[in-house]
Amino acid sequence: MKEIAVIVLSAVGLAFSLSGVVGILRMPDVYSRIQCSSKTITLGAIPVLIAVAVGEGPISEYGSRALIVAVLLLILNPAASHALARAAYKTGVPMKGAVRDEVAQRRAGNRGASQ
Amino acid sequence: MNDVFLAVAIAEVAICALLLGRLAAGPTVSDRIVALNTMATQSALALLAFAVFAGRSIYPDVALWLASFSYLGAIVWARYLERELL
Repeated sequence: MKEIAVIVLSAVGLAFSLSGVVGILRMPDVYSRIQCSSKTITLGAIPVLIAVAVGEGPISEYGSRALIVAVLLLILNPAASHALARAAYKTGVPMKGAVRDEVAQRRAGNRGASQ
Repeated sequence: MNDVFLAVAIAEVAICALLLGRLAAGPTVSDRIVALNTMATQSALALLAFAVFAGRSIYPDVALWLASFSYLGAIVWARYLERELL
């Protein structure tokens, strides 16, 4: 029973990780790749960590580390993705296929109002 | 059960090898940082699964270190990019 749960959780996590990596390889611009890297990779990592915690027990030396890594991923992955997207926008990486850029529009509007 | 964790570790390393393509081909620095960040996460998972397979309790600490300090690295890269120090 425990082994079936471990196999199913690992398979779900690996499938999500693989789809996230395909997204990182195939997406057309940096912002889409950051989206794949933040959401899909987090959702792919959490089931594998839960599988370790289920297989070895949550209080064992492997399961406890797996749960700590899961909490760290949930906190740090969105923060790092946000910082990276902000840095990419500020260094002027172009968006591909974007229909509007609200930050640039707002900046242009403020400049027009002040003049 | 240990064979399952070995298979997970090998699959994560294969995913890392796929990500090397984006690391080599990324047109901007940001693409490379995204690929590197993802590779760090996947290698932490691979280390954790391999630790369970091999029965070595020192490897999960390395995975914990990788999972926490790789994001610190990504944030530092982002600060460098934002202040145009590269």
